[in-house]
Amino acid sequence: MSQRSAPPDDPQAEAEDPVTGEPGAIVYSDVHKAFGDFKVLKGLDLIIPRGKITVIIGRSGTGKSVTMKHVMGLLRCDKGNIWVGKDELTSMGDRRLRKVRDRFGIVFQHAALFDSMNVFDNICFPLREHTRMSNREMKAKVTDLLGLVGLSGTETRMPSELSGGMKKRVGLARALARDPEFLLYDEPTTGLDPILSAAMDELIVTTHKAKPGLTSVIISHDIRAVMHIADKMVMLYEGVVYDEGTPEHFETSDDALIKQFIAGSLIGPMSV
Amino acid sequence: MITRIVEWIGRLILGPIEELGRGVRILWGGLSNVFIRPFRLRLIIQQMEFIGIQSLPIIVLAGFFTGAVFALQSFRAFSLFGAESMVGGTVGVALTRELGPTLTGLLVAGRAGSAIAAEIGSMRVSEQIDALDAMATDPINYLIKPRLIAAMIVTPMLTAIFDLVGIVGAWAVCVKLLGQSEPAFMVRLLDWVDFDDFAGGIFKGLIFGTIIGTVACYKGFYTKGGARGVGQATTSSVVVASVLILTANYFIAWVLE
Repeated sequence: MSQRSAPPDDPQAEAEDPVTGEPGAIVYSDVHKAFGDFKVLKGLDLIIPRGKITVIIGRSGTGKSVTMKHVMGLLRCDKGNIWVGKDELTSMGDRRLRKVRDRFGIVFQHAALFDSMNVFDNICFPLREHTRMSNREMKAKVTDLLGLVGLSGTETRMPSELSGGMKKRVGLARALARDPEFLLYDEPTTGLDPILSAAMDELIVTTHKAKPGLTSVIISHDIRAVMHIADKMVMLYEGVVYDEGTPEHFETSDDALIKQFIAGSLIGPMSV
Repeated sequence: MITRIVEWIGRLILGPIEELGRGVRILWGGLSNVFIRPFRLRLIIQQMEFIGIQSLPIIVLAGFFTGAVFALQSFRAFSLFGAESMVGGTVGVALTRELGPTLTGLLVAGRAGSAIAAEIGSMRVSEQIDALDAMATDPINYLIKPRLIAAMIVTPMLTAIFDLVGIVGAWAVCVKLLGQSEPAFMVRLLDWVDFDDFAGGIFKGLIFGTIIGTVACYKGFYTKGGARGVGQATTSSVVVASVLILTANYFIAWVLE
């Protein structure tokens, strides 16, 4: 049984991100989550600043994806509170949660494109589901989005005809279709070669700049690929925030665990 | 030791209850969404085409030869005591009451149920269902409702076709192959098979369609793991649906009697 504290009247006003000084757009407070006997989150406290790029890093299995899925209500926490703006998610029913999800876009690790639809229909899907756009408006929107992600002219191709990098970019275009307030990336560079990885980073920054007010959250274990695009970095370890700060803070940190993670070394406090 | 035994017994009891609860959730979710927008008429028609039209060849083939072989064996047996004229009626009653709905159910479970479980299962393991959720689209409304409704509408129709084609098969064997007179075949058939037999079979088709749709969607929706999980879900959907159809058939027959 979850023990919920009463939500504050204005959690945004109370929660200011200590790293960027921006108000908290998403706030996790003492969040716990277990799958059977395996405890993934053990009292997570985290503030995602509004309008910035936050990168959450950590080893595989430390709960990065679980953290992200909680903020969209794809998973329910066992204990704790999560605020998106002034909406407290843990006490919400499915219908209200769907309205909160309307404010999010998500780029899945393996793109999660609908394999029965071509690129055009994949990007149009959220528009057809939730808007009354005409076909002409949708076509214009898809053309714009494909231009933004550098895939103009691929409208009729099926997901099976796309490379891994192209799928992720189509996934990004689909996530942007409804002009979300929050954009979540789950391991955006995993499985990409270094050049495609750099291109993806650039695309994330371009997208962030092209959409004023957008709050981006990137989940990654590829610290080198995402370090230079972050406004704030958070390291998860054993189900809690181990450290947070600017990329410079992590680069110059003397902490043995952080140094080992950044160096990708086998020698250090973290064992395989 | 005692704790482990208690845990084992607990899992043994709670496991099936949990499965049943999830199955009921899928069934209730699909049915309660019928009048909730968006209605998904296009998807329902697509699924009716997939489950119904694409199953027609196998239903027609199986129906024809089931009626034919039943007539062939019955004719030989009945001719031992000069009762060949009863073949038409016997085959008609057996087909409309039992063989038509049951064999149709088993065939649809094998052909369409397995495909539904595999499709939804692979959507689950490739995060496509999470993507639906993330885009604020209810997966029950988008995936489950059209398939469940389509299976419920189409299976009784396929049952009726199976019945009719089966009777044609029996007629072809009795009248065209074994030389029985057409009036002898038809009189008993029309005399013995009444509307209640036919309607009872169609009602069974509705129940079997509900079972097929629910089990296939449930197995697919709760698939775990990768390709292996999808394979298990597919196999399991056919086995569970088949067992439920055979079991339900007995109880429906008992109630209808």
